[in-house]
Amino acid sequence: MNVKKKFKGLSDKAVGWLFIGPTVLLLLAINIYPLVYAIKMSFTNFYANKIGREPQFVGLKNYIKVLNKEAIWEKMQVTASFMFWTLLLQAIIGLGLALLLNRKFKGNELLTTLIVLPMMLSPAVVGVFWTYLYNPQVGLFNYVVNFFYDLGSFDMIGSSTLAPWAIVIVDTWMWTPFTMLICLAGLRSVPNYLYEAAEVDRASKWQQFIYITLPSVLPFLLLALLFRGIENFKMFDMVVELTSGGPGSATELASINLKREAFEKWKTGYSSAFAVILFVTIFGFGNVYVKVMNKIKER
Amino acid sequence: MDTSRSYLEPSSFSKKMAAAIIIVYAVITLIPISWMVMTSFKNVDSAISYPPEVLFEPSLEGYVNLFTNRSRQSQEYLDSLPPPDNWYEELVRSREMVITGPSKFLGRYSNSMIIGFGSTFASVFLGALAAYAFSRFRVPLKDDLLFFILSTRMFPPIAVAVPIFIMYRKLGLGDTHLGMIILYTVVNLSLAVWLLKGFMDEIPKEYEEAAMIDGYSRLQAFFKVVLPQAMTGIAATAIFCMIFSWNEYAFAVLLTQFNAQTAPPFIPTIIGEGGLDWPAIGAGTTLFLLPVMIFTIILRKHLLRGITFGAVRK
Repeated sequence: MNVKKKFKGLSDKAVGWLFIGPTVLLLLAINIYPLVYAIKMSFTNFYANKIGREPQFVGLKNYIKVLNKEAIWEKMQVTASFMFWTLLLQAIIGLGLALLLNRKFKGNELLTTLIVLPMMLSPAVVGVFWTYLYNPQVGLFNYVVNFFYDLGSFDMIGSSTLAPWAIVIVDTWMWTPFTMLICLAGLRSVPNYLYEAAEVDRASKWQQFIYITLPSVLPFLLLALLFRGIENFKMFDMVVELTSGGPGSATELASINLKREAFEKWKTGYSSAFAVILFVTIFGFGNVYVKVMNKIKER
Repeated sequence: MDTSRSYLEPSSFSKKMAAAIIIVYAVITLIPISWMVMTSFKNVDSAISYPPEVLFEPSLEGYVNLFTNRSRQSQEYLDSLPPPDNWYEELVRSREMVITGPSKFLGRYSNSMIIGFGSTFASVFLGALAAYAFSRFRVPLKDDLLFFILSTRMFPPIAVAVPIFIMYRKLGLGDTHLGMIILYTVVNLSLAVWLLKGFMDEIPKEYEEAAMIDGYSRLQAFFKVVLPQAMTGIAATAIFCMIFSWNEYAFAVLLTQFNAQTAPPFIPTIIGEGGLDWPAIGAGTTLFLLPVMIFTIILRKHLLRGITFGAVRK
């Protein structure tokens, strides 16, 4: 029985393409085309600031240059350690907060909203106002630290040993709520009968936590870390405004270095090769991570 | 029996402990934000006093400095001027300066508004269309298309910034409102499609089928029956798109300079004499963060749902 033919107006197929078409076209024009363009440029010695000069094909030269450059590996290390510490801290604190919030005490919802506020703010603006909090002469952060433990004068942004921690602290402050919210969703999705059955079996609270709570929340936590991992691999705005990659290159993350090569030195070909390498890295790691995550979910 | 507390209900002691720890965390996490708001009401001197002043005499100097350009003048020149017309001119003159004109802040702020609302409207509208089609019709390669839409979110913005920069220069879209609206629309589209598809899936098909039996075309049914039903989802999605566009920095700093520059790249450049003018930066930050904070608190239910919902679906 084909009733649908009787309806007036465009056919469903036509409506379908009409509805999806604009989205796909826009993504192709503003997302895929630039990406293909970048891949093409990565094989040339193009300089975007030199108009009129024909770019020449140089083969894999840019890629070899990027991979052989020691400075690039330093940036990758800075990025990796930034990711390691932010993800670790956000996993522990976020999960802890979610477990506490799951006790459904009074005022729970309002407190959740207040805790979530930092992640709604503009990262660049956050970076600017933390430079004030970290100011070695007048900063509130330095005052509070010295109030509890007398360190004397110290400069979170100006010292190359402290600056990596300065960006880790700000990122953790900003994004722990994200992990917390996702974990909370996970905790709320655990069916009550599991705990009831465990109580009947006289499992202790600790056993319930290890065998029920943790396994159910783990996939959610891993998902939150995947999103944060991708974002922090691309991290740019907050760190640029906070430390601008300094002092020296102590906090020069991959994206910041990429911006310098592309928009300050205008080495378009070289920076495109670097961008492609970054993109492949994030895609590769992301894929492996998702596979591992699905394995854990299946267990 | 009243004595039988549920097994699952935490004891009141453990609830109180949890509440106490959460309150402490909330207070600590709000200190940086409150400090910035407080700084915006300080004068230049009390903003750089040490130890930091928690109690201070409120001043609107930061806000005056945010909205005006000033220049330093000699005392004789100031004495030769007619008396100030209003309180803010008086405030500026007490610092031995005169107002030379309005600052760029208002323009940057309204750019943020125009680009934010424009791109939010476009991405929610286009996203709703695509989400509906994915939710209801048999689309060839549906899963691949959906993944393709999602994967566009993984590109580092800087990686595509150079090609977009060149492309925009050729098309005359560089440093224009339209160019930025298109760009932010595209960045938000993937999220909009994914979030809205989830909401559309929840609306029973029978609604629009009933409308179509009553003589509506598919398009009419979509606009008159489905869209009103999806309003909650549309609101949640719109907030996310708006927050993204409002906060975006990387593209804004690379692709705009004068005409279409938004507030995030502008606020860090507010500089007073002898370094950064912290009360003015505080004022700019406060005015910039205020809409987002109000939004978050008023619309918290949609927002929290949207965050977890979007993540869980993916």
